[in-house]
Amino acid sequence: MRFDVIVVGAGHAGVEAAYAAARLGCSVGLCTLSRETVAHMPCNPAVGGTAKGHLVREIDALGGLMGRAIDATGIQFKLLNRSRGPAVWSPRAQADKQRYALWVTEALEREPNISWIFGRAGRIEVEHQRVVALAMEDGDRHECRALVITTGTFLNGLIHIGSEQQPAGRHGEPPSREMAISIRSFGFEMGRLKTGTPPRLHRDSIDFQRAASDGVFVEEPGDEQPVPFSFSTRAALRNQVRCWLLHTNDAVRDLVRGNIGSSPLYNGQIQGIGPRYCPSLEDKIMRFPDRERHQIYLEPEGLDVDDIYVNGFSMSLPREVQEKLVHALPGLESASILRPGYAVEYDFVQPTGLRSTLETHRVGRLFFAGQMNGTSGYEEAAAQGLMAGINASRAARGDGPFTLGRAEAYIGILVDDLITRGCLEPYRMFTSRAEHRLLLRIDNADLRLTPAGRRLGLIDEESWARFEARRERHARNLDTLNRTLVRTSRGERVAASMLLRRPGERLESLMQRGEVALDVDGVTRDLDLASIANEVKYEGYLKQEAARAERMRRQERRRIPEGFAFAQVPGLSREVVHWLSQIRPETLGQASRIPGVTPAAVAVLGVYLDRPAVARRLDQP
Amino acid sequence: MFSTEDSIVAIATPPGRGGIGVVRISGASSLRIAAGILDHPEPLRPRHATYTRIRRNGAGPSDEVIATYFPGPRSYTGEFVVEISAHGSPVVLRGILDRAVAAGARLAEPGEFTLRAFLNGKRDLVQAEAVADLIDAATPLQARVAFDQLEGTLTAQIGEIDRQLFDLIARLEASLDFPDEGYHFVEPAEIVRRIGCVVQTLERLLASAPRGRLIREGATVVVAGRPNVGKSSIFNRLVGAERAIVTDVAGTTRDLIAERVDVEGLAVTMVDTAGCREAGDRVEREGVMRAARAREVADVLLVIIDGSVPLMSEDERLLAETAARPRVVVVNKVDLPPARDTNPSGSHGEPDTAHPTTLVRVSARTGAGFEHLRDAIVAGLTGRESLRDPAMISNARHIALLEQARASLVAARASSEAGEAPEEILLADLQAARARFDEVVGTRTSEDVLRHIFERFCIGK
Repeated sequence: MRFDVIVVGAGHAGVEAAYAAARLGCSVGLCTLSRETVAHMPCNPAVGGTAKGHLVREIDALGGLMGRAIDATGIQFKLLNRSRGPAVWSPRAQADKQRYALWVTEALEREPNISWIFGRAGRIEVEHQRVVALAMEDGDRHECRALVITTGTFLNGLIHIGSEQQPAGRHGEPPSREMAISIRSFGFEMGRLKTGTPPRLHRDSIDFQRAASDGVFVEEPGDEQPVPFSFSTRAALRNQVRCWLLHTNDAVRDLVRGNIGSSPLYNGQIQGIGPRYCPSLEDKIMRFPDRERHQIYLEPEGLDVDDIYVNGFSMSLPREVQEKLVHALPGLESASILRPGYAVEYDFVQPTGLRSTLETHRVGRLFFAGQMNGTSGYEEAAAQGLMAGINASRAARGDGPFTLGRAEAYIGILVDDLITRGCLEPYRMFTSRAEHRLLLRIDNADLRLTPAGRRLGLIDEESWARFEARRERHARNLDTLNRTLVRTSRGERVAASMLLRRPGERLESLMQRGEVALDVDGVTRDLDLASIANEVKYEGYLKQEAARAERMRRQERRRIPEGFAFAQVPGLSREVVHWLSQIRPETLGQASRIPGVTPAAVAVLGVYLDRPAVARRLDQP
Repeated sequence: MFSTEDSIVAIATPPGRGGIGVVRISGASSLRIAAGILDHPEPLRPRHATYTRIRRNGAGPSDEVIATYFPGPRSYTGEFVVEISAHGSPVVLRGILDRAVAAGARLAEPGEFTLRAFLNGKRDLVQAEAVADLIDAATPLQARVAFDQLEGTLTAQIGEIDRQLFDLIARLEASLDFPDEGYHFVEPAEIVRRIGCVVQTLERLLASAPRGRLIREGATVVVAGRPNVGKSSIFNRLVGAERAIVTDVAGTTRDLIAERVDVEGLAVTMVDTAGCREAGDRVEREGVMRAARAREVADVLLVIIDGSVPLMSEDERLLAETAARPRVVVVNKVDLPPARDTNPSGSHGEPDTAHPTTLVRVSARTGAGFEHLRDAIVAGLTGRESLRDPAMISNARHIALLEQARASLVAARASSEAGEAPEEILLADLQAARARFDEVVGTRTSEDVLRHIFERFCIGK
């Protein structure tokens, strides 16, 4: 078979890549081991969270799948950071993992441009430094104009449960070895990372009622009026399950300490580096000895399954120790383990070898996306998949690159961080990574990105019409606030927007008093109101931030020519030349973010790039 | 100028003849260039003074010299540096320079050696600026402030403030990014307290700014008064030279006469002016107008009154006009018998409490009272602050940036006290403050700023 684009892997990166490329009119071959594991959630059955929720809203604003999929199959929804400002509000939802996977599979199957390739991808075939085909382990061969690899944790995956070791990409699935060899053969820099997952418990073996009335489980309720992930969601979302919070105790601590020698993380069996911010139970106990207890959440994995996910309890201790640990938790004395927790080590490709399109520097039209680039999280993977899918389809048709800036989207920050800084540990998105955080909110993700998605061809007529209506409504609401006069406590009459800038004044109360009438609709009412109030109240900050973003964009517009020889620039230290040549920044802005490249070196480079070519030749040392 | 790969050369001592003249070469090939100049077969020993000769080249000059080799990175620029000390003849030095250029060195631009030290991470921006200040220092006090900054006292202070701020930011960021960890990374009251601490430290630093600027930039003292009260005589005494022409003809001084003097460590520009009066010829009228403008820019005015005659209407007008300005009223000619009503403080007292009038009695002829006058000038300039306390900060660029940082921090404190603004707004202010600190020490500086700073250096530094 011959395809425009082949995508290897149908996890969260792969499905977005395939879907985007198909929507853009390419014939797509989606290569996966089995239909059963499409859009699979091998770890936490949840989507979103701080900054991750932002990514999902952005994926949705660009026409991706994840937002719609979780709105359709989520079973409990919560907006995190609600007590803080709208810039850090972030939706999170428990997914029904089976229904989620099914929803995505069906969405892919509705795309006539997508064909499944079931089997194990083996080798990347390259001619003249450009991808030409994908060879399968079974000998089949598929030609393609662009290739997106999204193999997640499968490259030389190795699962650890105590001293048990099992080559596997995920629980029960064999790893990719030939593909790992093929990637390595092109000279990509690779490293080893580790991640882990907690044990799953049987729902019926836990007496929730009693534990809750004893006060050892505290219910973590969902929001009364959930904020959806997708801009297209119109129906109200419903919470259908209950989640519970409990805490570790001294018995857990003593068990971990007493068995630490049998933890592959602590006895040298695992070399890969794990995520610091999502520590295993072993790390929590050993690295934070002062903390008396740690939080654990019990989260159902779906409506029709019995699995309860024990959030915060990931570990790689032997099965019998896991058993004791679970039973040591209050309320779980007789819980039965369906599947033990495990740690998985896997190869990742240092993403500094990628361009801002996620195409590799070494091989033309070869794209890497997702966890194999050193990231963690479904959302980070999906965001990369979307960008790789868009750019693979554009490359296949000879169109120019599509990239997002750091001031435009968290997706832009994600890609930029990966390609300029690389990964030393699994990369997770945080709002603190955004230097223009105030501008990158969940409420304006569509205003920021949907026009770009429309230009690409990812937004259909219906969605575009809805977007335009919403944009107009937003502008009208702001206008209303500027023009409606309201009475202050001292009896003066001022514009509502002026009043809102004063401390203590709230938009909601103005509306309750009937002083202002705004046009805000059902499911996103809270979010829209907050967005409007925020834009009015902190207008000064937003304007300053926008001005700063514009200054940064100027740096981004100063391009470094393709294949530029950094060694020819007089005045750059050997170390700086090394990093620049290795990472190959495309703009002066990217160069400035590479670790080890000093501001002075950026100044030198900037001056050099501005010089006429003649002067360049004269100044050879 | 922003390149550091080639080797640069310059005469590092002042132009003209001198006992010793130094040529400095910096760059990767400085040793090879020096080998082409020196008649010295062995390699130069690092950090040793080597007595040798300049290699004779046709009819070119020769000389005996001391060459010192500083291998990088332990050198002024962080590069390989060779300094050649020759006899201070412009011809000899020019000859060495030409030979160095012939051997591949490039003539250095002003400040380029220090710029390289900055680019190579040997000095931060504050220190690089301090080098220029130190070279420009005209008074011991200026030199001391510059040297303190060169030593890194200001850098260390800013670093300490920045560390406090960074810790707070990290905690606030953590609470935004880990909302369900179940504990506060920092309590609201603690936020207010911590920002308060940072503001306090910053304000302490900024408190010395007016003094620091005064020391670094100096001040202007303008001598004013009606004709023939002895302005020029007092001016001459203060500058220690017969700089202004003194006659008993009223209106002798017509243009402004300025001279820079060291008054108790302050670099003071003394300005003598034409006497205030109506009419005169066109030249004098112009001079009177210039005098009026000079009075407006003065940091301190010396209003001179002739104590031997009664106050005249011009005296009274000037006293009234300058009452709101920082001034010293100087009663001159105390060696002569006093007229009865020459105490001007009675009639033209203290309408402005911010600048209480100081009255000093002097005799320009005998020199009596000048000690008091100098003290009064210094007091007028410093607001009676002691100059013995070190001034941490003196550069207008630093002061402006730190003022901006302070404004951001004060806004952050206000919004956290009110408990209204969300944390990300608070963080926007805190981050803005940090960005200013980065600009001061140069970890975040645009090319333009760098160019501007290094432009004011002299060649060879």
